[in-house]
Amino acid sequence: MPSRQAGPIGRVRRAKRAGRARRAGRVDRLAPFVLVAPAVLVVVLLRLWPLVLGINFSFTGDGELNGTAVGLDNYLALLDDPLFRTSLRNVGLLVLLLPIAVAIPGLLATFIHLKVPGHRVYRGVYFFPAVLSPVIVGAIFTLLLSFDGPLNAALGGLGLPPVDWLGDPDVAIFAVVGVHVWATFGMALVVFLAGFSTLDPSLLDAAKVDGASFVQTLRHVIVPGLTRTIQFVFVTTMIGMLTSMFGLLYVMTGGGPEGSTYLPEYYIWMQQGRFDRPALASAASTALFVAMLVVGLAQVAVLRRTGKED
Amino acid sequence: MVRSARWVAAVPMAALAVATVYPLVFTTNVAMKTRREYVLDRFAPADALRWDNFTSAWTNVGTSRYFLNSVIVVACSVALLLLLGSMAGFALGRLKFRGSSTLFLGCLAALFVPFQVIMVPLARVMSDAGLVDTYPGLILAYVAQFLPFTIFLMAGHYATVPSEIVDAARIDGNSLYGVYWRIMLPIGAPALVSVGVLNALFCWNDVLISLLMMPSAENRTLMVGVTSLRGQYSDDIPVFAAGVLIAALPVLVVYLFLQRRIAEGVTAGATKG
Repeated sequence: MPSRQAGPIGRVRRAKRAGRARRAGRVDRLAPFVLVAPAVLVVVLLRLWPLVLGINFSFTGDGELNGTAVGLDNYLALLDDPLFRTSLRNVGLLVLLLPIAVAIPGLLATFIHLKVPGHRVYRGVYFFPAVLSPVIVGAIFTLLLSFDGPLNAALGGLGLPPVDWLGDPDVAIFAVVGVHVWATFGMALVVFLAGFSTLDPSLLDAAKVDGASFVQTLRHVIVPGLTRTIQFVFVTTMIGMLTSMFGLLYVMTGGGPEGSTYLPEYYIWMQQGRFDRPALASAASTALFVAMLVVGLAQVAVLRRTGKED
Repeated sequence: MVRSARWVAAVPMAALAVATVYPLVFTTNVAMKTRREYVLDRFAPADALRWDNFTSAWTNVGTSRYFLNSVIVVACSVALLLLLGSMAGFALGRLKFRGSSTLFLGCLAALFVPFQVIMVPLARVMSDAGLVDTYPGLILAYVAQFLPFTIFLMAGHYATVPSEIVDAARIDGNSLYGVYWRIMLPIGAPALVSVGVLNALFCWNDVLISLLMMPSAENRTLMVGVTSLRGQYSDDIPVFAAGVLIAALPVLVVYLFLQRRIAEGVTAGATKG
């Protein structure tokens, strides 16, 4: 908006200023577009356009059928593929484990907020694995979880038999998810702590004065006060589980043993990079996108609802 | 009763803290051992502070080359992310113009498109553009991946700048570019540091995008290099451990000095979401 200035200014100066303002006005009207243009260009060309291409691509064939429309064949092939079915089953498992993955950092944040002895140290220590690459974490844990590694040695010390953490098809997925939770609970913890800082301290004090037990305080003060934060952590943890375990799988199990640790993202990678089935991979990508969309829309709906409550 | 709960919680929490740190301590200890020492007893403390494994991990398997690749790519990506992100963040967070809310929504929507969903077609787009296996290709892929998040945070930050400051700058004759350059960039510097550190971590730690965009061995980034270490050193675990630690070291240093900033960046998304 050109600045309108009242006051005794000479006519010439005023005219000059008006001219400058008009020019500035034109420059300023274009400015927002110039400022967003590079970002829009990058996001549209390298995020949204590939998304459209990929969905389109998922309805065409691989190999000899490259480029020809095959309808839903890729999706049917997905449902027939035991590896893809395993990856879906593992997603189901992640959803079941989600409440635990949210509750652990939530409880820890609660204790830190209540100033457990040593709380200052815990915050810094718990958060640190969250900044390590899944590759680093995975590499370290292949050592820790190896058959003759420290964890089995510790079990042996307790008189328990060793477990083949990464070699047993019934165990490996839990081992990988456990490592993922170890590596990421600090993120959620920090988010919870930020949520706590918005919680009215007088409520906690009131609960204390009224002699509320810890569980009562948790149920009637903390959880209702942090609804928004809890929902946010649920969504981000789910997204993290769906999209940031590739590094761990790649380093720790390679999808094995017997394909038992496949997740959709790993399946997409293998079909694209190893089996040269890009169209099939695109179909799996589209399926993953739909899943993400559901998670995302759930969050928007939830935010809108809590927004109304505010 | 809250008081006693605190003490009950302190014990498992201390145990968890140990479990959080122990893997790194164990790995460091292993990296100090000779191969013989490791085979005989992997738990006993190394008998000396020995750096041989680190030097051989650094020189023998191209780690130094991968390290350099990572530094170049991460530095360029973060610089571009901050430039484009702050420009767009200023425009979307501060200026009302035709289509601004649509663009902001589009940016939010892009947040929910994970890389796995677009990796197949993106590889094709990049290879059509001749950008596969080049620095600019990987840099662009990172920028595209982390730009929506950067814009989102910067827009949120710029929206909180008091309008008196902007008005004063306008009266002093600044164009919108002047406001961006002389007011928003300096005022937003702390936020830029937080977002920049976070983006640097994301790019440094990434393995999937890099695997896809940089197929040839000499262009590997450090994280991809680490994944290949295991195969090369399957019989020399101490050197493997040393290589892993070299790759983790920059992140650990950044964490020690900038822990607050990282936490700020992570929580900014939560509180503004």
